[in-house]
Amino acid sequence: MTIPSVAAGAYANVARLADPSAGLGKAAGAAGETAGGPSFGAMLKDALNSVSESGQKSDAQTKAMIAGKADMVDVVTAVSETEVAVETMVAVRNKVIEAYQSIMSMPI
Amino acid sequence: MDLMKSIAIAASGLRAQSGRMQIISENIANADSTPSQAGGDPYRRQIATFQSEMDNALGARVVKLGAVKTDPSDFQVKNEPGNPAADADGNVKYPNVNPLIEMTDLRDAQRSYSANLNVINATRAMIQRTLDILKS
Repeated sequence: MTIPSVAAGAYANVARLADPSAGLGKAAGAAGETAGGPSFGAMLKDALNSVSESGQKSDAQTKAMIAGKADMVDVVTAVSETEVAVETMVAVRNKVIEAYQSIMSMPI
Repeated sequence: MDLMKSIAIAASGLRAQSGRMQIISENIANADSTPSQAGGDPYRRQIATFQSEMDNALGARVVKLGAVKTDPSDFQVKNEPGNPAADADGNVKYPNVNPLIEMTDLRDAQRSYSANLNVINATRAMIQRTLDILKS
């Protein structure tokens, strides 16, 4: 369930980056906001927070299993959910960096 | 996300089947358990039941292990006068566990578990393939 929040959050933030005049910059919070709108860093931070949340969940499940309290199935599902969330986050990050680099290498 | 939901639903199937495995292994392990006192009743075979349950957090119907029922069929009676658990006529009641039936049940649970694992694998493959679009 963390994938849509990561991906949707990232897309929404990308939309804000592209259109700072829409006034969405304030909604993005003050986490590294620049003059034009939320920065790429803030967007990455948002995505990372939600990924680390699911990571903490899977960590807790693993610890509980070591203590003999959790089911192995719960651990496997929690870890795979985190894996998907991390991969989505990394893929979005790579895509955005790629876009940034192609803008930077644009001849002006 | 629907794909993560189907993983969670398949995980409920895994949990239910592992509970069933526990009951089958109890039956197999206790197949020769004799009564504790002379003329008493031995271990009675247990049967796992499944029930469909609405998971509100997930918004889908998952499977849960229901109440564990006992098999009401007759015990096997063997004439063993020397057995300490024998009654006045020398008969000993043995559990109503048929190892062949338990083995079939065990195989059934195993197949069902694999089927649920396959659902998880297929779902993961679908998620991965979707992510590949983003990566390429």
